[in-house]
Amino acid sequence: MATLERQVGHTPTLVPSKELPGWLGWLTTVDHKKIGIMYIVSAFFFFLIGGIEALLMRVQLGVPENTFLSPDVYNQMFTMHATTMVFLAIMPLNVGFGNYVVPLMIGARDMAFPRLNALSIWLFIFGGLMLYLSFIVGGAPAAGWFAYAPLSTKVFSPTNGMDYWVVGLTITGVASIAGAINFIVTIINMRAPGMTFNRLPLFAWMTLIVSFLLIFAFPSLTVAQVQLLFDRNFGTGFFLPERGGDPLLWQHLFWFFGHPEVYILILPAMGIVSEVLPTFSRKPIFGYAFVAYSGVAIGFLGFTVWAHHMFAVGLGPLANAIFSAGSFLIGVPTGVKIFNWIATIYGGSINLKSPFYFAAGFVAMFVIGGISGITLASPPLDLQQTDSYYVVAHIHYVLFGGAIFGLFAGAYYWFPKITGRMLNDRLGKIHFWLMLISMNVTFFPMHILGTEGMPRRYYTYEAGMGWEVWNLLETIGAFAMAFSILIFIFNVVSSLKHGERAEADPWDGATLEWAVSSPPPAHNFDRTPVVHSRRPLWDTKYPDLEVAHEAGSHGMKRSEAVKQDQVHHVEGDEAIHLPSPTFAPIIVSFGVTVLGFGLLYLGTSGGMTAIAMVVGLVIMGYGIVRWVRDAHADLPQH
Amino acid sequence: MSFRRRPPRWLLLATMAGAALILSACGADLPATTTSPAGTHARRIYELLVPIFWIALAVFVVVEAILIYSVIRFRRRPDSGIPTQIHGNTMVEIGWTIAPALILLVIAVLTFRTQAIQSVQPADAIRIKAIGHQWWWEFRYEDRSIVTAGDLYVPVGRDVTLELEAVDVIHSFWVPKLAGKTDTIPGKTNLITFQAEKEGVFRGFCAEFCGEQHAVMRFRVVAVQPDVFEQWLQEHSVAPPAPSEEVQQVFVTRACVSCHAIDGFEQAVGQTGPNLTYFGSRLTIAGGALPNTPDNLRRWLQDPEAVKAHNKMAATIGPGKVQLTPDEIELLVSYLGEQKVSVPIPAEQ
Amino acid sequence: MSEHAAVAHTAHEAGHVAGHGTSTGLDSRKMGLWAFIGSEVLIFGSLIVTYFIYKPINAARPDAQLPHEELGIMFTSLLAAILLASSVTMVMSLAAARNGDKRMFQIWHLATIGLGLCFLGGQVYEFYELSHHGLTLSSSLLGMTFYTLTGFHGTHVAIGATWLFAVFLKVRAYPDSPENLMDIELSGLYWHFVDLVWVAVFTLIYLLP
Repeated sequence: MATLERQVGHTPTLVPSKELPGWLGWLTTVDHKKIGIMYIVSAFFFFLIGGIEALLMRVQLGVPENTFLSPDVYNQMFTMHATTMVFLAIMPLNVGFGNYVVPLMIGARDMAFPRLNALSIWLFIFGGLMLYLSFIVGGAPAAGWFAYAPLSTKVFSPTNGMDYWVVGLTITGVASIAGAINFIVTIINMRAPGMTFNRLPLFAWMTLIVSFLLIFAFPSLTVAQVQLLFDRNFGTGFFLPERGGDPLLWQHLFWFFGHPEVYILILPAMGIVSEVLPTFSRKPIFGYAFVAYSGVAIGFLGFTVWAHHMFAVGLGPLANAIFSAGSFLIGVPTGVKIFNWIATIYGGSINLKSPFYFAAGFVAMFVIGGISGITLASPPLDLQQTDSYYVVAHIHYVLFGGAIFGLFAGAYYWFPKITGRMLNDRLGKIHFWLMLISMNVTFFPMHILGTEGMPRRYYTYEAGMGWEVWNLLETIGAFAMAFSILIFIFNVVSSLKHGERAEADPWDGATLEWAVSSPPPAHNFDRTPVVHSRRPLWDTKYPDLEVAHEAGSHGMKRSEAVKQDQVHHVEGDEAIHLPSPTFAPIIVSFGVTVLGFGLLYLGTSGGMTAIAMVVGLVIMGYGIVRWVRDAHADLPQH
Repeated sequence: MSFRRRPPRWLLLATMAGAALILSACGADLPATTTSPAGTHARRIYELLVPIFWIALAVFVVVEAILIYSVIRFRRRPDSGIPTQIHGNTMVEIGWTIAPALILLVIAVLTFRTQAIQSVQPADAIRIKAIGHQWWWEFRYEDRSIVTAGDLYVPVGRDVTLELEAVDVIHSFWVPKLAGKTDTIPGKTNLITFQAEKEGVFRGFCAEFCGEQHAVMRFRVVAVQPDVFEQWLQEHSVAPPAPSEEVQQVFVTRACVSCHAIDGFEQAVGQTGPNLTYFGSRLTIAGGALPNTPDNLRRWLQDPEAVKAHNKMAATIGPGKVQLTPDEIELLVSYLGEQKVSVPIPAEQ
Repeated sequence: MSEHAAVAHTAHEAGHVAGHGTSTGLDSRKMGLWAFIGSEVLIFGSLIVTYFIYKPINAARPDAQLPHEELGIMFTSLLAAILLASSVTMVMSLAAARNGDKRMFQIWHLATIGLGLCFLGGQVYEFYELSHHGLTLSSSLLGMTFYTLTGFHGTHVAIGATWLFAVFLKVRAYPDSPENLMDIELSGLYWHFVDLVWVAVFTLIYLLP
């Protein structure tokens, strides 16, 4: 499998590494690949913690009237389970893969703003740690990940937990917005010559859409959280009826963020599937434009349907009907994607390897989650289904069967590229089957439980309701799921040590990341590639393929395209300049975190708040000065 | 994993067994199931669910079948080269955009039809207030000045409109067999109308996370024939005789009167806890935590915290706080147990 | 394709030279700032929406404090004028920098910061006066929504002024950096945005009946 470089008869460039040795290297790196690895590793760590929280809950619910967890601890568990999985696991896993892969896919050397990228990872890590600190200092938040007011206000949630929730998530929110800005500019502005939007890989498309969703959705959450912080500590009453406030304002602000958030969670996984299925079917994605634009449609429509989370609050039949119509409408572009994926597989020559299994599993599970989503979009049905285990089933089919399966597809797909080793495929398949079966054993009965009237967020339930057998089954399934993840971890650890060495292009891929070595050199490409089609590497490898319904080559006949060097490079010498490692981002992140700590003491000790804020600002100030200095020192000398 | 031409028999049998198991859930008449409605609101929802369920099942079977078929049929074989590089087909795209849109349109029309019916609050309905507290339900029949808790009595065959309110945080009123749920929001009054179609006792739950004991905020809807309902209203609106001196003594010295009210007992005017008038008829105690039996009541009065952690009564009553003596507990248990209306309670559904 | 040979910058490095070598020809940092401003528009939007949702509810309450009674426009019009003037001086500052007029750049730039600080001082004074008249963060729905919105804005002005000052110092420390013009322009862009937000807030909160 020839790499692009060798195609042009060019000797690889040796670029001296600027990375600091050992762990200092990780603390100061601005390399998107290392940052991507840091995101993936830390997010996976949070994923495991979130999983343990789930297992604890499932033990409690295994039998009726159980006393394994106290009610308060159980409530902290489901709050932290969801908060962790959404903000500290799935989102950063998406960003981690995006960070590693997208610049490679578009032929860039790094993200547009490498230092900002480092700021994002450190803010994420510190914010996540801060959130978990709450367990030690008086109790984790226990009002649910959605923190409805008035329950989340001081009177009803007197511990600091909610304040940790607000501040911790605001810090990770800043990380997310900075990351989104980075992706937007990178994908719009750093594409290799010839890579029009019409030729952009779908994973990059989805990452771009998600980044726009992020910058427009997070502000609503930030404002809601600030208002909650004020209600808790400054005597305001934004959500307190006795002060004229409205608890529903919280819900509107939260879900205006919350609904786009679920598309933020799922679209990257859809992007991964859109890369894996074509590669392993050995044919292009069916309906590229339709898959890309349905993503845009979903992103856009996602802002118009938030109140389908509020069908039971009494908005009135007209409002419910409007949001219901929008929610049904979103089913159309979603269905389009699913059919296009199946059409991609159909007629292919499928390479039945682990990445494909997980990608196909995504499609199979997401169909189920999508269908339950449609029933939930109907307000009358929703009034029975919402706040019951039916919704819990829906969420987990789309987020576990969907996002997590998609992310595992990405993991198996890109592990060779990232580490230079192959994961054991046999273990991968065992992982897949065990996880698929156990996931369905765990979550399918929840549809039934909800239909049989079991509400959600219940730390216990009475015997004799007909719920016992399903709950026990779900608990067993959950432990089987955990075991399947252990298989994955074992696979990773042993493959890192003894796995078969990976070549540049182990899967016969189509996109640019497979044109460089596994792992890639720090500078990614010796020469910036020039792109002529949606599948630059594939068309280089198979220039004589007959193509039906060719698209994306600007009306050029295939034979003409082949005559040119299909993917050639920028001529002449390219000065490869990589940004230098710097301590500035981690220092600034630390300063922000200290500042955040100050906010946690707002209600209890003004003195501590003032000190922490001053110290935080000083550290930030020093970090920023250093940032400016390091950035200036990094400018290429003319 | 390779298949022969036909899927293996064991797989067929397993699928059928699984389907049978799952579909059995539809028929079972469990205490809280939404598939065996006994009220008009729940029935209309169920009647909407049935066609949508079959559509959903059909979509599921067709899509998954094509997916599984594709994966199996197009596995790479040793002699397969690179398959035809099809990029797409606009007609097909249009087809599978329009077809689901039409299906969704059908579902939407059915939905809006049901919703229109469900959102009407008939003028001649009986109005009852249902108020959510952390962690118990209060019911007020304003026109008869009846304040009670835990059990909501309604007449069979007549529309009941509930005025849903909450005093502290958001709760949600849910009786799966009678109606869909509607949230109770502090500062707002929501309405829901339903009609019980038959007699019975129906399980109710709080369905919006409301704090520590959200899971133990249960209530019952007791649907009785209209004449029985009238009788219940009559008896309940008449204050019982005041309790004996000893009982009054306990109530006052143990601060019960500051949280609880009892008709006919002047000093008991507390509003923060449930009204205890005719407590003996109630099916459950402590916000649905336990069935209303003398032993359970003893447990509760002895140590509320042990029954329901961090409930409001446990802040005052219990070991280390205001501790009732065994004699006081006996007095209260027998007094409260005697406070009954004579209306027969139907069987649980 | 040959122009790529002449302008052989890496994608990353290209960001330093405005728009050069980027896919759109637009400067990366400017694009990033616009994306950030997009996000900020939604933050202020949410705060303004909250204000308007609560405005009629506030008016109907017994403890109502009404905007036209509590919020005077004399002093705040002056503050608006100061902030607008600071945008003008910012434009002048960038123009001077582009002309290579170091001295005038410094004067106009410091003037911008100074006017910004005047605005902030005035805002602090305004808050002080208002709280003495009984309008505080917790006194009414008006208090909550007003102070949160204007407080957010004031914080952004403070951050903007700090940013402007940091740019001033940076340009002084590295007078030959090719990034200076873009640094000045970006800080100015943010400053203009913050000014525009004030125009919106002033109009919607103070001027609307």
